[in-house]
Amino acid sequence: MPWLAKRIGVAALLVWAVASIVFLAIRLVPGDPAELLLSQGGVAPAPATVTELHEQLGLDRPVLTQYFDNFAHLLAGDLGRSLQDGTPVASEISRRLPRTLELIGFAAVLAVLIGIPCGLFAAIGRHGALDRIATWLAAFALAVPVFVVGTLLVLLFAQTLRWVPAGGYVSLTDDPLGHLALLAMPAVTIAFGLSATVFRMTRAAVLDVTQRDFVRTARAKGLGPARILLHHVLRNALMPVITVLALHLGTLLGGTVLVEYVFNYPGLSGLLVEAVNARDYPIVEGVVLVISVLFVVLNLAVDLLYAVLDPRVRTA
Amino acid sequence: MKRVRRGPLIAIAAIALVALLVPLLPLADPLHMDVVHHLSPPSLQYPLGQDEYGRDVLSRLLWGARTSLAVAAASASLACLFGTALGLAGGFMRGVAELVAVRSMDIVLCFPPLLLALLIVMLLGPGAATLIPVLAVLYTPGFVRVVYAGVLSVRSQDYVEAMRALGAGPSRIMLRTILPNVAGPLLVQFSLAAAAAVVLESGLSFLGLGVVPPAPSWGLMIGAARATMNQAPLLLVWPCAALSLTILAMNALCDALRDAVDPHTQPARLRRHAQPPPPPSRPATGTAVLDVRNLMVEIDTPHGTIQPVRDVSFTVRAGETLAIVGESGSGKTLTGLAIMGLLPPAAFVGQGSAWLQGHNLLRLDDAGFRRVRGGVLSMIFQDPLSSLNPVHRIGTQIAEAMHAHFEVAHFEAKEEVAALLDRVGMPDPERRARAYPHELSGGMRQRAMIAMAIANDPRLLIADEPTTALDVTIQAQVLDLLGDLQREFRMGLVFISHSLPLVAEIADRVLVMYAGEIVEQGDVREVFAAPMHPYTVALLQSAPRDDGTLPVSIPGAVPLPHAMPPGCGFAPRCGLREAACEAQHPPLVELASGRATRCLRWRELA
Repeated sequence: MPWLAKRIGVAALLVWAVASIVFLAIRLVPGDPAELLLSQGGVAPAPATVTELHEQLGLDRPVLTQYFDNFAHLLAGDLGRSLQDGTPVASEISRRLPRTLELIGFAAVLAVLIGIPCGLFAAIGRHGALDRIATWLAAFALAVPVFVVGTLLVLLFAQTLRWVPAGGYVSLTDDPLGHLALLAMPAVTIAFGLSATVFRMTRAAVLDVTQRDFVRTARAKGLGPARILLHHVLRNALMPVITVLALHLGTLLGGTVLVEYVFNYPGLSGLLVEAVNARDYPIVEGVVLVISVLFVVLNLAVDLLYAVLDPRVRTA
Repeated sequence: MKRVRRGPLIAIAAIALVALLVPLLPLADPLHMDVVHHLSPPSLQYPLGQDEYGRDVLSRLLWGARTSLAVAAASASLACLFGTALGLAGGFMRGVAELVAVRSMDIVLCFPPLLLALLIVMLLGPGAATLIPVLAVLYTPGFVRVVYAGVLSVRSQDYVEAMRALGAGPSRIMLRTILPNVAGPLLVQFSLAAAAAVVLESGLSFLGLGVVPPAPSWGLMIGAARATMNQAPLLLVWPCAALSLTILAMNALCDALRDAVDPHTQPARLRRHAQPPPPPSRPATGTAVLDVRNLMVEIDTPHGTIQPVRDVSFTVRAGETLAIVGESGSGKTLTGLAIMGLLPPAAFVGQGSAWLQGHNLLRLDDAGFRRVRGGVLSMIFQDPLSSLNPVHRIGTQIAEAMHAHFEVAHFEAKEEVAALLDRVGMPDPERRARAYPHELSGGMRQRAMIAMAIANDPRLLIADEPTTALDVTIQAQVLDLLGDLQREFRMGLVFISHSLPLVAEIADRVLVMYAGEIVEQGDVREVFAAPMHPYTVALLQSAPRDDGTLPVSIPGAVPLPHAMPPGCGFAPRCGLREAACEAQHPPLVELASGRATRCLRWRELA
């Protein structure tokens, strides 16, 4: 399949570009990372310690050597060690990444379960009461930033009603119920806006597909509305919805930062914020790289899914 | 560009006004601390109370609007300038400039936005001075794409080519022609970027990575109020509400701008239509399969209700082919769709009846129509590619027509589909049944459509320009196939076409439609040999000829439905026009042997 090979090639190229940019950004921006790292409260560090750190980080070597070394390590799966406590970045990321993925996955399922049926019914009863209410709710849901939703949920359900703890994390094996209880609020927070996006896309796509000629053909065959909707409209309407959802999920990989912060959820982006504040370059580099790779892979997966859903893509 | 909806515009103007005028308002200093009275409830002096350092919450809230909008406006403007420059350069210079300007944006889009922002903040340190360029970088790709696409579409247009030929330099062409053309989409993009910037600025400030304390910012206020939400939950509510309402207004403005820029008009609100009044009595159908009486189709438009089909009556007998001919806009397709119950949403049957096997089709409810459609009554459409569902196999789509009307086992349906495809002349039918529409040629697709239409042995088949989308050689084959099938199944066939040679080949009788009305009808040989309406004469003269003489085109155009002349609809284009033609609307005069004409001067033609 030359089409597939081409897509994978482009994806690999993008990953390489991202890795290079992250690498270069840190080295080429004015200011010595080692010096910045060691400065505490505006006091300049002793030159000896800076030199020592330079050697430790390999910053004393030529940039090009660093660049190729860096890639050799990356290909071997080595993302370096944290500057704060020396733990390998790769193991820290592999500990945190599944939590973030679980959160996003849970939120995506919620968003699809709410957004697609609502979008479908709103499109069927276009201009009806349900459509108007749902459209307004979606506009509202899209206007409230995710950290506002999260903070208000904490205020309502944790502080005032005391139904759930305000945040934190326990692993599924330690306490399955507690795990789900702690996962619920951040997931609902993300799903709040995401379901509105899915709703809007579904509604627009269904309205668009309903006007196509092949839907008229389906009616001309004497098919009932349910069959037309499920067999002819939905399958075609879902393609743009899936694209947009996948792109949003990709954005969420980095965008759970705020939600994880609000709910004190120890996911990947929490790690990133801590590392940014502590100027822990290897961790920041690693996290940004991993998320970007996932982002690119997700886009590739969408294209593959497209090929499954739409036979025209396979031969194109 | 249409008018922008007022509501969102006023809301944004109000917020912007507050942000501009806040230094002039009689407010307490937003930075003045009064730690003794921290977290005080609302009072006369402090209408929204005091925060954790005893600062005036109302003042900080209004100053926060200034921060938010300033950051949003500055970053969106920067992104707009930068993106427009890159897009223009990429679109106009092509080559390396194009690669750098456009493809490099794909890399920016490869980072989730918040992540990219965090990366830059880490490198440059937090603060408004970092925030604005960070956000600008994030939103630049959107502008580049809009401008680039605009340039590509405009530069290929004739007037740009003309300007170039006249010696205008590239920069002049850019400024004079392209920028005005992309101004609308740019404005939409600007509003989107500004709205997104407000969201991101507040999020970063909330994390402590955006605006630096003690500057008043909604994100910072929310972050700080989180710590004291037990004692003073309202401190959390105010900035949340201010931020959300601002974003709501900005999103609404984005939608309003997009609607205004989008050339597609909003479709008219549909109203429920009453069933047409019942006809006086059931006609004695005799041998007719279909008996249409006084059909009128109406469409609601913003300019009032129009009647694109008026007073159309005809019958089709078993084994007979009736052709309906006319130019685009004559109402022939709407007539077919009305009989099928497939009129587009804005159109409806105003009056009339259409009898088929003892049912008045136009009085059927949805369920009743479903039993008829695809069963005794079926239809073939003009463009087989768009009329077939792209994601299902041909065989599935044909079998579906059977399952809709009869209980058929799946393996039986499969055999039947192969037999049908074989019957319509599809080579290798079993394999073709597994093909998707895009894998077949145009002729094969139309054969598949025909197989679908005859799957349930219909008594009446409506074919709406079934060969228009096909090559001439394929046209003849499909036409032959339709003729064969019609004789074999003794169906009535309604053949809708604008092509007189095709009609002459396939039809028994012909119905000439003009501007929504029948202007002449009769036996196809008689009508073609001795037309009795000037429009038919003109149509015949405009058809391509075998003898090589040039066809004569009909001057003028079909009158628009809401500007119909009071007299004869054809009068403005007619060479035989006289005063009486423009004064009164001519009736359809029934002549001997099923012929009829809607011309006052038909005797002079005969």
